[in-house]
Amino acid sequence: MEGARKGVLGHLNMLEMEASNLKQQDLRQSSCEEELNATLQALLRKRDQLQVEIKANTSLQKMRSLLDRTGVPCERNEDVDDQEDGSDNSQLLLMMAKHTQLKDLLHAHHLIGGYDVLQTRKGKGVCVSLATAYEGVYLETYNLEIDLGSNLRICRHNIPPFIPLERLVTQGNMQTDIRDFLDTLSQYLNAYAGRKQQLHLTKEIHSSVQVAESNALCTILVLMFTVPGEKAGATLCTLQYADHTQCLPTRVNIQSEDTALASSPQWKKNQALLLETPLHTALVTMKKTGSIA
Amino acid sequence: MDDSTKRILQRLIRRIPSQMLQTILGKWAHLSREDLHSLDFTQPKWVFTEHLLAHCEENGLTVKHITELEMIYIIENPNQGMWHGFQLLDAEEDAPSIELTQFKEQFKANLTELISHVSIKIKKHTDEAIWIRIAWGDNFTKPNHLKPTYVVHHLQTPYVFVTGLTSKHKPLLNQALVLATRYGSMKDAHLSGRNLTAIRDLLMRQYQQVFPTKHPKPLQEKNPVPRNPNIEKEQAENTENRLQMACEAFGDGTLPQLQKAVYKLETKFRDNSNKTLTGREEPFRGVVEFASTNLLESLRHCVSSGMASTPVTPLLSSITQKGRNYFVITDKGV
Repeated sequence: MEGARKGVLGHLNMLEMEASNLKQQDLRQSSCEEELNATLQALLRKRDQLQVEIKANTSLQKMRSLLDRTGVPCERNEDVDDQEDGSDNSQLLLMMAKHTQLKDLLHAHHLIGGYDVLQTRKGKGVCVSLATAYEGVYLETYNLEIDLGSNLRICRHNIPPFIPLERLVTQGNMQTDIRDFLDTLSQYLNAYAGRKQQLHLTKEIHSSVQVAESNALCTILVLMFTVPGEKAGATLCTLQYADHTQCLPTRVNIQSEDTALASSPQWKKNQALLLETPLHTALVTMKKTGSIA
Repeated sequence: MDDSTKRILQRLIRRIPSQMLQTILGKWAHLSREDLHSLDFTQPKWVFTEHLLAHCEENGLTVKHITELEMIYIIENPNQGMWHGFQLLDAEEDAPSIELTQFKEQFKANLTELISHVSIKIKKHTDEAIWIRIAWGDNFTKPNHLKPTYVVHHLQTPYVFVTGLTSKHKPLLNQALVLATRYGSMKDAHLSGRNLTAIRDLLMRQYQQVFPTKHPKPLQEKNPVPRNPNIEKEQAENTENRLQMACEAFGDGTLPQLQKAVYKLETKFRDNSNKTLTGREEPFRGVVEFASTNLLESLRHCVSSGMASTPVTPLLSSITQKGRNYFVITDKGV
């Protein structure tokens, strides 16, 4: 009898265990199902979001290409359903299109060696970096930090003191047309960098030419040449750059112990050459023609 | 050579350190080569001075030559004495196109007009700086060469650096400089220090400034600590930020050596727990002075190590941004 009971009880136990296993399996399956449902919902939501983003981006691109082509934000007889989104949406899109256009313009400007603008202090200021270059070589970069208040104010800069920054700010139009102001400043800085580079190259390449006088702004230069020949004497050449936004001199003066030298046709040509070509290339030509040693 | 000239030479030789004597006398170029060779630079200074005096008398050198020697010495070693910075204001139209000879003539003419007995020496150094040495006299005495004033000016910049100027002669120098450089007026830039190169670099912004850039380079440490790959710095981003802010406020690399920053307070006392001092109408006058061998370096270190809070308070960053080290703080601001 006991063996039979054990058998039956044992069998009952086994069936009970199987039943509970099945229940557990069911539970697990339903929880799996719930999880899968949840992921399904999340993916559906993500897909909807992406679809909205794609739509926004395409309309943004359309608006941007319109802006680029014509400078007018919307065409007269375009899709009516774009207007259906509401006028604030299209306003927003317009803002975004202009923003991307401005960013691309700034990036292009930066690539060609113009100035670059960066936002600082969470939008309360901008930092403008002006790059200078001469004959394809990048030289110093100068920076300006401008405070964006009701009035634009330069709070920090590393522009050398002989560039008339204060004069450009007070007499110029920094408040109304900052692009013009930055363009003028960039002109001054590039001209200064160009003149400085010319002097540097002259000192390096033409060691036979002595620099008798120069100044920090590189607007006055006095060079001493040695003229080959029996009448070898010192010749002083004074270059004056009265226009501080140019790299070429406005006046060239030649004085020599040999008084006839300055009025000889060769030197008249040299004078004209120095007025029209950068200093170091002009000296190369003068050496070739044998005017200077 | 009379007694006063001898005394000037003796004082000068005593002042020049022995290692530099030979180079400076060489640059002076008023002694012939044989004379220079015959001088024994290893002798004690008083013996050396006697020999030098003898040579100078032989060559008939005068006060003018001796002051030249002094000027050479000071130009080579400008970082002594107390230098003060001044700023020229209200440039006129032709201020940017002043050239050297024009400035020299104008300055000499102006100053001799203002005070007749004065000895002026102007020299242009290779780095575009004009050095002026002035020995002042008055209507009855000859110029006093023992207490000269030195002035350094870079053409086309509105800054002037002066040492050894008494308050009696200040207005005269002001007027002569203002007229010669074609500006409207000159004011105190409130920047002073022992080191001429430091205050010049600070005012003319010739130190390495840091600006926010699109691609910030990681600021290199001077002595990088050897990195253990098992150690990860948790505060690395914070440290980078602090270092960037410190460098933006004070500069990168070697900083100009300032010795002091003085803040004169004229603000009302505010701590309510002190009954005797609160509530008074007059401002509580106090002076806060920071002193160090290299003040800017120590301030930058304070900020980058976290001892001073960031963003850097404008009271400290004004030292570099405005180029001053004397501030008067009132309730309305600096």
